[in-house]
Amino acid sequence: MNNTFNFNRFWLLVKRQWLEFGKIYLISLLVITGVFVLFYSWNFPDPDKDYRYNSDGFLNLYFRIPLFLTLGFIFISVIASSYFSMLGQKAKAIIELMAPASSLEKWLCGLFYTSILSVFSFLLVFYIVDLTFVTYIEKSIGHITFSTTSGPFPTPKTGVIGIRTLFSELLAHKEMRPMYGIPFMITSIFLLGSVYFNRFHYIKTAVVTMLFCSGLIYALVKVGMWLTLHKVQDSANFGYRSHNDEVFIYILMGTAFITLFFWAITFFRVKEKEV
Amino acid sequence: MEFRDNKAIYLQIGDYVCEHILLGKWKDEEKIPSVRELAVSLEVNPNTVMRTYELLQNKNILSNKRGIGFFIAEDAIKQIKLYRKVQFMDEELPVFFRNLYLLDIGFEELEARYKKFVNETFTNP
Amino acid sequence: MIAINNLNFGYSKHSLLFKDMSMQLSAGHIYGLLGKNGAGKSSLLKNIAGLVYAQSGSLNVMGFNPAKREPELLADICFIPEEFHLPSIKIDAYIKANAPFYKKFDHAYLNVLLEEFNIPISNKLVNMSYGQKKKFIIAFGLATQAKLIIMDEPTNGLDIPSKAQFRKVMASALTDDRCIVISTHQVRDLDNLIDTVIMLDESTIALKASIEEITQKLTFKKMKELDETVIYAEPALSGFNVVVPNYHQEDSKMDIELLFNAVLAEKKKLKPIFN
Repeated sequence: MNNTFNFNRFWLLVKRQWLEFGKIYLISLLVITGVFVLFYSWNFPDPDKDYRYNSDGFLNLYFRIPLFLTLGFIFISVIASSYFSMLGQKAKAIIELMAPASSLEKWLCGLFYTSILSVFSFLLVFYIVDLTFVTYIEKSIGHITFSTTSGPFPTPKTGVIGIRTLFSELLAHKEMRPMYGIPFMITSIFLLGSVYFNRFHYIKTAVVTMLFCSGLIYALVKVGMWLTLHKVQDSANFGYRSHNDEVFIYILMGTAFITLFFWAITFFRVKEKEV
Repeated sequence: MEFRDNKAIYLQIGDYVCEHILLGKWKDEEKIPSVRELAVSLEVNPNTVMRTYELLQNKNILSNKRGIGFFIAEDAIKQIKLYRKVQFMDEELPVFFRNLYLLDIGFEELEARYKKFVNETFTNP
Repeated sequence: MIAINNLNFGYSKHSLLFKDMSMQLSAGHIYGLLGKNGAGKSSLLKNIAGLVYAQSGSLNVMGFNPAKREPELLADICFIPEEFHLPSIKIDAYIKANAPFYKKFDHAYLNVLLEEFNIPISNKLVNMSYGQKKKFIIAFGLATQAKLIIMDEPTNGLDIPSKAQFRKVMASALTDDRCIVISTHQVRDLDNLIDTVIMLDESTIALKASIEEITQKLTFKKMKELDETVIYAEPALSGFNVVVPNYHQEDSKMDIELLFNAVLAEKKKLKPIFN
């Protein structure tokens, strides 16, 4: 018997974890879907009032991106921070640790649920809800006729920007590409929090992360000031714009490194967990 | 089965087995419950029952047929009586004698009582 | 089956719970682990199961180091903790999710045990009482056909008929290749079930002996008056319950509570007898 990894055993573990964790997961997903639906309904464009259009002639639904980001963050962090929370309770932890699967399999199962399933199911839910509403809005405003008015941008009003276009345009900026790694980094931080703390995993992880980031920013600012203040001519680089893409690669590498680092610590915490 | 306080469990189980044989609940040369079965019904450790069976085997009350189990030996009842007699003589008689002595009970009185007891208990239909 | 060598263990480095503990446990026995509150009964069981890690010393369980938590070993250990939590699902769903981890799992035997314990298979785990849940995990654990069965206070929370059922089940569960270790306060529940007593006191094993050996060396009886041979005595209804050396090859019934108190009170007198 392979005592490190066996795919069959891993799959059994995924199914086994679903019985307990699946409930938390499905309920969270349902809540998130509900919030989406509510938000879209609440902000549904009212034909009696003025529609607002952007410069390209699309109906403005400004809340979409912030909503996506906020709920996305909440969902994946909540899921990640509840996955290993059972190891903090003696009564649950013994049964979990005695389940005949290797630490590697238990850890991989955690990654599967918190990083793959949660991120992709969130994208799917957002996609479906947005598509539904956008299709509906398109249909309902399709009957309204518009007169092109004289103005700076006399573009015909066409409707709502589709979700695919919304994201492909957003992601067309090369500055956005490094952000692909961010969700995984968030889940890795909260997953570690769930195995590190025995209680109040979410709050504790959030507070520690926030304190750490504030400290980091403060330190960076201070170091930057110390390095440059009164040493470099003001406005020396003013207006400088890097045409160098390297910085984005570094950001991507940085998030990837942090993610892998937290995942690795999580693995050792799971392996070394004592009851 | 209720266990008493003063006698080792494996001996009490021995008495239980002997009783069953004497009363004819388990018949001559028949297979008796396995170690496990008896342990389960008495709620005791199987090793304890094993100890009992080994003891009774040494006393020629049970015979062990390898791979099949324990059987009641041919002249088990005779052997039980022998075993019980030794037990009685060694353990119960001294206590009994002590009481006879302390309470000043004569053998004539005892004999009369004994005959009456046998008459009442065993000869009546 | 289990070899413990020079084990040092403690929850903090300064106060060790076990000092230089060594012990061998073999198959075919039911070991009764006794000790005062806080003597470390649960901790010893957790060490054997690999749920906690020792500071130093070695532990060998069926050829494995339990601290590595290898699936092959985990599948051969049935650990019944005192407190446990089961997911709120139906019994058959639990069995379906967990049984495939155990190659030797015996479904027919599980059904026999559940019937013995009067637990209908369609029950939901969450609606069952503590005692019923305990009987369920005992039945499930035994049906895994694990070679090593570890139980921490198994009779806690069982009603009187359940205790009798439990004794019957355990008597039938002991086979030549199985080792059963039971820790308990309620010695009266189990005194005919265990064949070897392990007593923990003052960070070490105060006594490990089979009942046969104990009654060969000691006699448990009632005495009207104490004499100098008495090792330990407790006042009783008419005289004293005493522990004396077994000078006359008497076959007395071991009084496990009396023995327990004798070991705690008269360690010095008892030690030479058992060495």
